[in-house]
Order: sequence, then structure tokens, then C-alpha cells
Amino acid sequence: MNNSDMSQSKLTLGPVMFNWNPDVWRDFYFRIADEACVDTVCIGEVVCAKRDPFFTPLIPEIIERLQRAGKEVVLSTLALIMSKRDLTSVREITAMEDILVEANDVSAVSLLKDRPHIIGPFANVYNEGTLEFLRRNGAVRVCLPVEMSLQSITSLTANQHDTEFEVFAYGRLPLAISARCYHARSHGLSKDSCQYVCDKDVDGMDVDTLDGDPFLVVNGLQTLSYSCCNFIHDLGALSAAGISRFRLSPQSWDMVAVAQCFRDVLDGKTESEQAEHILDDLSDGLTSSNGYLYGKEGMAFAAPWAE
Amino acid sequence: MISETPETHKKLELVCPAGTPASLRAAIDNGADVVYLGFRDETNARNFPGLNFSREELAQGLDYAHQRGAEIYIAINTYPQAGNPDPWHAAIDDAATYGADAVILADMGLLDYAARKHPDLNRHLSVQASASNPQAINFYVETFGVRRVVLPRVLSVIEITALNKQISVQTEVFAFGGLCVMAEGRCALSSYVTGQSPNMNGVCSPAGHVHYEDQGDQLVSKLGTVTINAFAPEEKAGYPTLCKGRFKARGTVSYLFEEPTSLNVVAMLPELVNAGVTALKIEGRQRGRAYIAQVVSQFRKAVDAQADGTTLPDMNLTSITEGQQNTVGAYDKTWR
Amino acid sequence: MISSTGMSAPLSPVLLLGLAVRPLPLAPLQPVLGAAMTAVTRRYPNIFERLSSLENTRFLIDPVDLPFGFLLVADDQAPQLRAVRAGQAGDVAATIRGPLMTLIDMLEGKIDGDAQFFSRALVVEGDTEAVVALRNAVDGSEIDLFRDFLDKLGVLAGPAMRVSGVLQKIYDTAMGDLDSLRRAALAPTERRHDMVATKIRRLEVKLDELSRGSRARRSQS
Repeated sequence: MNNSDMSQSKLTLGPVMFNWNPDVWRDFYFRIADEACVDTVCIGEVVCAKRDPFFTPLIPEIIERLQRAGKEVVLSTLALIMSKRDLTSVREITAMEDILVEANDVSAVSLLKDRPHIIGPFANVYNEGTLEFLRRNGAVRVCLPVEMSLQSITSLTANQHDTEFEVFAYGRLPLAISARCYHARSHGLSKDSCQYVCDKDVDGMDVDTLDGDPFLVVNGLQTLSYSCCNFIHDLGALSAAGISRFRLSPQSWDMVAVAQCFRDVLDGKTESEQAEHILDDLSDGLTSSNGYLYGKEGMAFAAPWAE
Repeated sequence: MISETPETHKKLELVCPAGTPASLRAAIDNGADVVYLGFRDETNARNFPGLNFSREELAQGLDYAHQRGAEIYIAINTYPQAGNPDPWHAAIDDAATYGADAVILADMGLLDYAARKHPDLNRHLSVQASASNPQAINFYVETFGVRRVVLPRVLSVIEITALNKQISVQTEVFAFGGLCVMAEGRCALSSYVTGQSPNMNGVCSPAGHVHYEDQGDQLVSKLGTVTINAFAPEEKAGYPTLCKGRFKARGTVSYLFEEPTSLNVVAMLPELVNAGVTALKIEGRQRGRAYIAQVVSQFRKAVDAQADGTTLPDMNLTSITEGQQNTVGAYDKTWR
Repeated sequence: MISSTGMSAPLSPVLLLGLAVRPLPLAPLQPVLGAAMTAVTRRYPNIFERLSSLENTRFLIDPVDLPFGFLLVADDQAPQLRAVRAGQAGDVAATIRGPLMTLIDMLEGKIDGDAQFFSRALVVEGDTEAVVALRNAVDGSEIDLFRDFLDKLGVLAGPAMRVSGVLQKIYDTAMGDLDSLRRAALAPTERRHDMVATKIRRLEVKLDELSRGSRARRSQS
């Protein structure tokens, strides 16, 4: 592993995907601005447009604070756009000038044409053909789909010097999005009358198998892994594969400390084994996973770094 | 269509599945206007063992269809692997060479390839592209010359009606069969448990990872190490897909995502015609030819009755549906 | 039925026939089965081409209403079909279990395998992928047992006649076999006892797991 290369790598804080209390949400970003060693911060509702009204009024203040702290700010768009309300949200964000926008669906890609922008992990960039097309359309950075293997990443990034590549490196994996709200359904409600019950579970609602094993979590329309994706041991391999940015996805535990762990490993100040212990403590022992990288099931925690 | 007024008695096109040449003939003999199929590899979203078409079988299928006034669409609707575009490019090239009536694509890179290399080959946008709004659909139309869009199964009829007024391209909707409750092409549940997904491998909850355990008092289905469901002896079963499994949430065991059920919109044909839909798609390339024959013949009668303005025939397809239950899914907004 | 688990047999002529055939040797069936496979391979080369990824997979086709099953070795060069009794099948990759008439209708593509599975008329165990491949290959081949075999037996007319003679005798015996009937009627009760026993065993295992300490779980804030 080449530590000097890794120290050049940047950290991105992904958008908060859960429906946190707006005050908690604002304070979270303020603390990130003041204390976290991340280079870029994504902000914006990516799961459900119904939540927008609670957060939109707070965004200008947060952007200002983040920018003052020297962070690059990125506005993320919704992953699934069906209604007029959804589309209005995307059009408003993509109409904003002087700020980078991350497209999480093709409608945002079309609205950002001929303007530098980012492709988010919810858009499907699996191969060179699509990458080349999106680059011509204006994409300068791509956060790859969560299910891509290291082998595919290596093939994709080869000879692509005009694009910055990012992977989802920490946090519960966003696995699916639906028109149906499973949070509402589990409370005997429908999406239209949801009473915003998704705010009850700050890291998602536990979904166990019939055997009682924790398996997934539900976050409104979104389904995520129960396990916490953790590439802390894989930063060297990913850097060698052309990845220059690592995305940390906000969870309710201390993300400032999580970011510090990743930064210290990238800078060669901490061994990944030690960092893993710290991360485990921060997440209260939540199961880790990185199987996708090694072409295995995403829920696996594979350990090729030890071989 | 932007300016077209709804025609209540317009005839819907019936697009039917085939996983084998025998099913293709069954579909056409029973009244399919179009048969859609895939090659026997990872380029299509039903990459199941023993299923799909060789090039020779495609050539024979095209002859059989064209002689009877039917058409063949080829689904090339997975996302090519980085570093290995050849199988996907070959599939598109061969579809053009053999004279397929359209290709059904999801990946932007492939749409770009097909538009440049084979401008005369009809391009349809697969449901796997999850194009669920006019902004995205118009982009695919303007950029890649897409002629038809297969709409994701997340839209209500009201939304489809509004959508059709804002786009200048034909729409095809799912009418019967398996129901994805997650947005298609945006779901990694299968690979989270098995390493294989619809997008990358053309499979969902692949059979090679499925195990049934007959425990005497219950039939347990497992995907990899994860228990998906358990059925009492007489209870109706479904596919072992994750989103149709039984899970525990908030202390309650339930079908949290969706019951084992099949989509059936036969009762909604007038609404779909009024919504401006061009074609109905029947799911089930993995099903047997008995299923194809039964579903296609019933839908043929229903579509004809709709167009003639006569009463829709009674249909009994319950026995062949998953979990032996039907739903109109997201077409009814309350499903959400 | 050659397995202790699985579904109970329907009370049908096939079951009566099956119960009566129990003591008889299976050998007379073998020439017919062998000839059937030869004919299938010749007539439907695509079946085993579609199965080429399986490489000699062994399937047990187990009609619940017959006292024996069929072992199918899906070799694309020399596929084999043999009648086997309980314990004689050896290691199999997968078992497909259901009433004989359901299995035959599926073989002929008259009914949809998935639908049979959904309705629980069919049970699948073992390598599900292999079963799906077999189903797809067979369904794609438009097999018609009567057209293909019964009217074209040719040199097999001899063995077939012998078999049908045996079958006739069996059927006659079955009709008078009240004991068989009673056993068929009792089967569901015995099965229920088995189910209760299985359930108790599983609860015991679960209790045991629980007593070994519950897994630490993260509490959601």
C-alpha cells in the first residue's frame, strides 16, 4: 500500500439518509463544519420528498457554515423521482448556480447537461460505455454503485484520468428504493398518510429474519443493510484501483470520530486493525461488511487484507 | 402522446414472454402481438439455467413470428461489466443482423452504442432503467432516439396518465405476472445476500442460492444463509425473492415488503387505454409454456373485448399466480 | 414415495397401484426406461444441450404415490433413467417430489411447474438451480409421451407388453387390497404425529440456543 498516494485521498460525507429531527440534523452539520476532517459534504434529501419542507429552510445556513469552514458543499438529489413534487425538488436544486450538484437519477443527469456535476451512487454507472457518455454530458466525479467489485472498479477506472472516482466506504448500505413506504406499512399506514413515522428510527427500523437474525433496516421508501459497510481495511487496494475519494454515510453515532479514523489510516497514522476496533466501539459493535468489493455477497466481511 | 386524445377503444398491443422456442410458439399461437426474449447469457435479466435463446433459435423464432404477423423484441437489459462489453455489444449487433423488431435496453452506454452503430434498430427503454418521470424519459428519447419506454412498476394510473401527456414516446406497462416492489434497476437486495443481482448478472435471488428445507410441519426457504420464509403444509408459496419474504419488524412477523402475489391489471384495461398506454407486457420468461399459453390466450380475449367495446371476459388465472393471489400493485395509489 | 419427509400421497388409482407394486421387482421397467431416454435424447437433443452446464447432475424424481422413484442422470452424452427404491438412489443433487400425474403433466408441458410449486403440489429439495435448469430444458422440448413412445415402441413392444401385463395384475390386486386402502387413509394421521415430533425437536434446539446466551444486539437509540 502506498501511503503517500493514500494521503492525497479525500473524504466525502454523504447526505443524511434518515429522517432526523431538523434541529439534530442542523447541529450535526454544524459540528461537521466545525470539527470533521472531511473535504466534501453532501446535503439534501435523497429518499423522500415529503421530508423536504422540514429541511429546506435550514439548508442556506448550513451551506454557509460548511463553506466558511473550507468544505466543498454538494447538493444531492432524490434517488427516485415519480411525482410532480419530486421533480420540482430536483429542478430547484439543479437550477442553483455556483454549487456542485450530485445527480442520483437520470432526470438530474439531463438537467445538469453541459455543466460540471457529480454522479451519485444511486445512478447506475457500471461500465466504460456509460461512464464515457456521462463524462461527455458533464460528469466530473462519480460515486460508484455499492455492489461493484474491486475487479470491476479497477477495469472501469483504467485510463480514465478526467474523472474522479469515489466509493461508498462506510455506513449502512442503501440497497433498494421503492414507491411504497415500508415504514408507514409497518405502522399500518400508507405513504400518503404516513405521519412521518420514519423519524422514530434514526438509523433505520430493524428488520430481522424469522430466525431472529438482524438482516436489513427500513428507512421510509428505502431499504438498507443492517450491517455497516466498512472499507477501512481496503483503502490501500481501492487507492491502487484508482479510487481517490471515500464516502462516509451519516449514522447517528459519532461521525466526526469515524472520519478521523479513516483520515488517520489514509495518512498512515493508524493501522487499519486499530481503526477497526475504534469504529466497532463507535457503532456499538454493529456487524461490518465489505463483501461486494471481493465479488461476494455484500453482507460478507471478507478479509483479503490479512492474506 | 403529446396531442393525442384518449381513444377508449384503441387496441392495446400484447407483448408476451418466451424463455424457450416452445414458449415462443405457444405465445404466438395464442395471440401475442409481440414476443420478447433474451439470449442465453448474462446480457438479459432472466439469465436462468436452461433458459433463453441461441442465435439459431432466435433466427427460427423470427421466422415463426414474422410469418404470422408477430414481432420479436430482444431484451438486452442488464448492465455490462466494466472491462467486458463484448457480450452486450455482440447481442445488439446480432439483434440488428438477424432482424429483430426492437431491442430493449437499460444501460446508457449500450443505448449510446446501439444508437451510433445501428441507428435503424428500434430501441426501447427497459423497465430496468427505472425511468419514472417525464424529464428522464424525454432525455432518453432526445439523446438515444428511444421509441418506447417500459414504465417502472412504481407508478399509479393517474401518474401514467399525466406522464403520457408530457412525453412524445410510446409507453408499455406490466399487465400480469411477477411484481417488483422495489424500483427496478435500483435494487441490490439480491446481491447483498448472494453476490448476484439483476443489474450485474441478470438474476434476482438466483436458484443456485435457494434451498428448501422440508421440516415436516413447515417448508422453509433460504437464500444463502438467510431464512426468507416458512410455509405451513397447505399454505400457498411464492418465489424465494427477498422482497416477498416474511420478516420480523416492530415485534411482528409479516410480509413487510410484499405478499407473494402476482400483478393482474385485466380489470383496469379501460383505464390504461385512457391513460394513453400503447402496450401491455406480460411477465414470465422463466415460466413454463403452459403458463404462457394460458395467460396470453386470456389477455388476447380481454384486449380484443376492450377494443370492441364488449364486456371483458371472466378470467381465472389465480391458479398460476405466485402465492395464488392477485394485486393491481402500484397502479392503485393506495398500494403505497 | 421413497422418502420419509415430504407430502402425503393423494388417494388415487396411482397410489393403489403403487402400494400393490411394492413387493415386485423393478427390473422389468428398466428396458422401457432405457429406451425412453434413448428416444428422448434422439428426438430432443436440445434438452441435454440446455443442461450442459449441469455435468452429470443426479436427480431423484419421486412420485409420492409410487413406492419407487426415478433416478435421472443428466449427462448430455449418455443420459440415464433408472427406477430405484428407497435408499438406492445414492447421492442426488436434487429431489423433485409430487403426484405421478402432476410430474407427467409437467414433463409434457401441460401444466406450469412454478404454479404447481406455489400451490404446494410439488416439493423441491437440494440444488434448486439444477431443478430450474431441468424444468426449463424439459418444458422447452414439447415432449408428448404418447406420441413419442407408446405408439412407436417398435422393438420394445415385447418388454412393454410384459410390463403392461405386470401392471394389469397389480391393478387387479390393488383393487382388492383393503389393507392398502386403510393405510392410505391413515397416512395423514401418522404424518401429523411426525410433524408434531419435528416441531418439538426444533423447539428444543431453539431453546438450547437461547440458553447458551442471547447474542448481543445493538440497541437502537
